[in-house]
Amino acid sequence: MGITRRVFMVTGAAIGGGLLLGVGGVGAHLLTHNRLGVQRDGHSGDDSAQVNMWIRITPDNKIVVINPHTDMGQGSSTGLMQIVADELDADWSQMSVEQAPADSAYSNGKVFEGFVREMMTPPEWASTLLENGFYRMGDLMKMQMTGGSSAVRFTGWVSMRKAAAATRQMLITAAAGQLGVPADSLITEDGTVVHSGSGKSITYGELAAKAAVMDSPKEVQLKAPDQYRYVGQPVARVDIPEKVIANADYGIDAEVPGMHYAAIATSGVFGAQVKSIDNINEVKAARGVSDVIIVPEGVAVVADNPWRAEKAVRAIKFTRQSHANDSLSTESLVAGQRKALAEELPIAMSTGSPDDIPATVTAEYLVPYLAHASLEPMNATVWQQDGKLHIVCGVQNPLNAKARAAKEADLDLDDVVFHARQMGGGFGRRVAFSMSGDEPLNWLVQAVRVAMDTGKPVKTTWSRETDTRADVYRPMVMAQFEGALGDDGKPTLWRSRSYGKEMNIKAVAPPYGIPNVAVSFADQPHPVPTGFWRSVEHSQHGFFVESFIDELATTAGDDPLQYRLSLLDESSPEAKVLNKVAEMSGWRSGIDDQGRAMGVAMVHSFGSTVAQVVEASMTPTGPKAHRAWCAVDCGVAINPQAIEAQVQGSVNFALSAALYGKCDIKDGGVVQSNFHDYRIVGMAQAPRVQVELLKLDSPVGGVGEIGVPPLAPALTNALTVIDGERRRNLPLV
Amino acid sequence: MIKLNVNGIEHSLDVEPEMPLLWVLREETALRGTKFGCGIGMCGACTVHIDGVPVRSCSYPVSAAVGKQINTIESIGTAEAPHAVQQAWIKHQVPQCGYCQSGMQMAAVALLNKNPQPSDEDIDNAMTNLCRCGTYDRIREAIKTAAKEMV
Repeated sequence: MGITRRVFMVTGAAIGGGLLLGVGGVGAHLLTHNRLGVQRDGHSGDDSAQVNMWIRITPDNKIVVINPHTDMGQGSSTGLMQIVADELDADWSQMSVEQAPADSAYSNGKVFEGFVREMMTPPEWASTLLENGFYRMGDLMKMQMTGGSSAVRFTGWVSMRKAAAATRQMLITAAAGQLGVPADSLITEDGTVVHSGSGKSITYGELAAKAAVMDSPKEVQLKAPDQYRYVGQPVARVDIPEKVIANADYGIDAEVPGMHYAAIATSGVFGAQVKSIDNINEVKAARGVSDVIIVPEGVAVVADNPWRAEKAVRAIKFTRQSHANDSLSTESLVAGQRKALAEELPIAMSTGSPDDIPATVTAEYLVPYLAHASLEPMNATVWQQDGKLHIVCGVQNPLNAKARAAKEADLDLDDVVFHARQMGGGFGRRVAFSMSGDEPLNWLVQAVRVAMDTGKPVKTTWSRETDTRADVYRPMVMAQFEGALGDDGKPTLWRSRSYGKEMNIKAVAPPYGIPNVAVSFADQPHPVPTGFWRSVEHSQHGFFVESFIDELATTAGDDPLQYRLSLLDESSPEAKVLNKVAEMSGWRSGIDDQGRAMGVAMVHSFGSTVAQVVEASMTPTGPKAHRAWCAVDCGVAINPQAIEAQVQGSVNFALSAALYGKCDIKDGGVVQSNFHDYRIVGMAQAPRVQVELLKLDSPVGGVGEIGVPPLAPALTNALTVIDGERRRNLPLV
Repeated sequence: MIKLNVNGIEHSLDVEPEMPLLWVLREETALRGTKFGCGIGMCGACTVHIDGVPVRSCSYPVSAAVGKQINTIESIGTAEAPHAVQQAWIKHQVPQCGYCQSGMQMAAVALLNKNPQPSDEDIDNAMTNLCRCGTYDRIREAIKTAAKEMV
């Protein structure tokens, strides 16, 4: 794969320590922010050499990878280390990883650029950045994001790989100078530069200081796949042993001297503020309670123990302001979507003559608002110390969180110290973006307010109820489809209209060879706060597209898997994953003697292609998924076992949504509150999931989210085989 | 004062008798391996052993634990001497975010102590802890590996 000039410019400069994006006026400003300087300042007291922003080498030959991404369980830090170890020619025993500080130097324009390069239309947040001139250095620099299935795919595979390769070349050059031999007489192995002619060798640790001050090479040579020692291997995750033994390093476990605890109750209506607390003295009289205050969209109690705080906050009687959202309900929202879809809509994509063909197959789908339900509820510990505001919090975007906290506290960015923690689940909740313009970092803002207004160090922890009801939700979407079949049963027409600004035409348009296609969307807002939820727009549109193609197949009387294949180029990844999953599952039609049937779905998302088959049956308590097979093309599979884990986990994540997940809206707020009514699957509901990775020539694709979109349609397609019913609304139970 | 035996150590605590054991453990005995997930006993992140039996400590008043032996995840194993369940957890690379796993391990240890060779159905019935990351495939394999090691 050739390296485009633009990519080279980005990574060439990244090696040297500045960042040149080559887009707009951002580059010049970013050059003045010396990322390298941040790391060097941090280590001016020790004798390690910061060769570039990603790699530090110690005199005793340890290689430290600086990881700007935070950990929510996806294991990407190990993948990044594998990439660096291979390009650097280091032995695994030398490798370790360190978290980058929440600093503008570590903002990842690479993620943004990756999206822009990969997609035909960038995701909405990126379009917004571009369109609104949001693409200013200030905001771009506040993107230190972990999300979009991008850490290994972009930061690792693009930036760090080239940085490591360049570092190796610089170490060779340094050794050549020291030994007085030509560079091409030297090789590298296990963290050492070797001159086989004389048998002399020098470790990277001994050379690093020289390499750190050299100019980076203009061209870097990358390894070929057959030279990889670690990339492509199922390396054990470096962070797992610690996670297994009584782990207490989450945000919720923070410990600060003199710490108090705050609990929050929401106002109950999106956007509505609390006007007054009506029984403040009564609440304050409870044991351990010190403060009872109003916070954005809610009330807070500060106490000397989390349980005392929570008990007290539930005893608060408050009056809230009335708000336009007071009467918001699922019924009104659904009616609103249906009305919007009935209007004249902008066309996102059109091929052939879709208006000329009458539809003979129609379907309307509806999927609900979904909460994230990370098992660690939202929390932040905030305190003031030496004129600075300190925060301990698990987030997917530390820089953005730091900026938001600074704004709330009316401080300069430099006066906020953000201590990022591993997260007990992210799934997009902790990424700090809301498509609806609502405050995604609402828990952090409340925590900062509590600490500032009481002057105390406070750990604010949301209850599960508050977490469920103050989320930024996966949007509810209604979608209407029309199709027609030719005499050969193949689709001649595909028209779809869906609610909400389409984020990515590749998600909404069918990936199949259909001659007349029209895709429209109702560019309308969601009154309910919305945000990224694992796989984002693919979570809805994957269900719609893979349900409708299945409906066309069964209308034609064809096998659904063969039908899809007949509409794909057989050499495409889409066809190959379908063929592979057919083989893995022993794809069969009909119902077996245990009442089980199979359904299939295939979705391309985040640069990867996944086909899934689900084997399911109907039980008295609802559908049961027994087994699931996933054929995955993610291009380069840096760590196959980590990928398998992500895909298996995604299946269960998606199954929870397909079977149970919904957030009903009533009187301006969410009805559901805890795991009794916002259910997630447990061991007994989880299918056995088999994952296989295909070795195709595709570019490197993401893995964290790709297993989610195909699951719901594969399941509902299986259920249709059993009883002939089409299930167009989720959840199923 | 409420007297508690936690991991073999006696504590004398000035807490309300109705305070859930979870919050006593996390805040009064500084043992934060046991987690809060839901507060209504549905997720199991708060699982401890009381006289060897798995209990959801978020819904268990501390007064009911008086005179009993409480064991938390901290007593199950250490980095130097991990429990067979923990070794299996590492071998099978079970955790993703890891937040549920302390409770999950407590449930698994209790299961294996009571039923050394659990069937798949036994595992389904005993392992009702929730994992949002969905690591169930590997949990199941790890339990079976641990069962072999514990024989």
